[in-house]
Amino acid sequence: MQPFTLNYARPAVQLDVATPYAYDSGLQLNVLPDGRIAATDHATLRALGTTTSTAGSKTHFDD
Amino acid sequence: MTVLILTSEEDVTADMVVLRLRQAGVPVVRLDPADLTNGVALSGEFVHGACRGHLSAGGRLVSMSGLRSVWVRRPGEAASRAAQPSAWLTEESAQALYGMLRSTGARWMNHPDAARRARHKPWQLRLAQDSGLAVPATLITTFPQAAREFAERFPDLVVKPVSGAHPQEPPRAVPTSRVPPDADFAAVAFGPTLLQRRIPKRADIRLTVVGDRLLAARKPADPDGHPDDVDVRFAPSVSPWLPADVPPRVAEAVHRYMRDAELAYGAFDFAEDTDGIWWFLECNQSGQFGFVEMDTGQPIAAAIARWLAGDGEPAVPDAGDDRDAAS
Repeated sequence: MQPFTLNYARPAVQLDVATPYAYDSGLQLNVLPDGRIAATDHATLRALGTTTSTAGSKTHFDD
Repeated sequence: MTVLILTSEEDVTADMVVLRLRQAGVPVVRLDPADLTNGVALSGEFVHGACRGHLSAGGRLVSMSGLRSVWVRRPGEAASRAAQPSAWLTEESAQALYGMLRSTGARWMNHPDAARRARHKPWQLRLAQDSGLAVPATLITTFPQAAREFAERFPDLVVKPVSGAHPQEPPRAVPTSRVPPDADFAAVAFGPTLLQRRIPKRADIRLTVVGDRLLAARKPADPDGHPDDVDVRFAPSVSPWLPADVPPRVAEAVHRYMRDAELAYGAFDFAEDTDGIWWFLECNQSGQFGFVEMDTGQPIAAAIARWLAGDGEPAVPDAGDDRDAAS
């Protein structure tokens, strides 16, 4: 009784690593432990895939 | 005048825009509706023929009449992190917050009504056709026989979710997938199924639209790639996203689409075929853009910040000082 489309489903990619930055409500930005703004650290963002279009993520309904 | 950003704290893509606004000296209040009654507060009164309201978050207080724009990015469900959350409290909180915001003169990226409508893929396909974009032959059906007949007419098909949503419990992804020639379509009866003619592509296109500005990026397909690798999000990557020019006819059609959809922001996905034709796949009204900006260097965050700031306000630079420290 499974819909046809779900024959093509696969386990969603789960991020196993915790994000190394934390939200600073004063700045209204996420900040790395060394004080740098996370959005300026492209290497970290790439590694985490946090800005990426990622099917299956609960937080990325509209990718 | 303040820019209001509705999104989650962990939305680091929104940070890219906050940073640009901050560098331009534009006041910003960022909050997650999920925190209503638990860190976020609101008040509005309708007295003597006038309405006045305020929002408070993170120690900031902003008047509803002082909002220049509202960016609906990745907001959580209203009051879902309240001390005693409930479906009733969520509805109450959403009605209060969005009802008050709708009462302001602020402009939206994107207005909730336009956003809700724009999420419907069948509507997107029809609007794309009407706008003059090339749309691959598509069938959405619960009739197995209709699916079989469509597969006879278009033997090379892909299947994808109608909504773009992905099933949870357990979390699963449903990539756009190639349908094998011997597929049994009986299960089409158990759920609406979107079948589409596969476009043999030489590249994927992500076209980000901010107001009137078009920023296109192109990712060449692997010429030796397997034809089953349909979904760029899951296929092996052989190239970063690269800046691309938008063909004039596509640009005109996209402007028509945005105007008729009443959207200020949209992320269009196209498949570029071997003749160079851009085939419309979908338009995500809140699509991600950070990965495109990081690959291409295109100033998407700055364009969004500029649109939110509006005309006549402090200039938002395309690129700020990315060594900006939090101190």
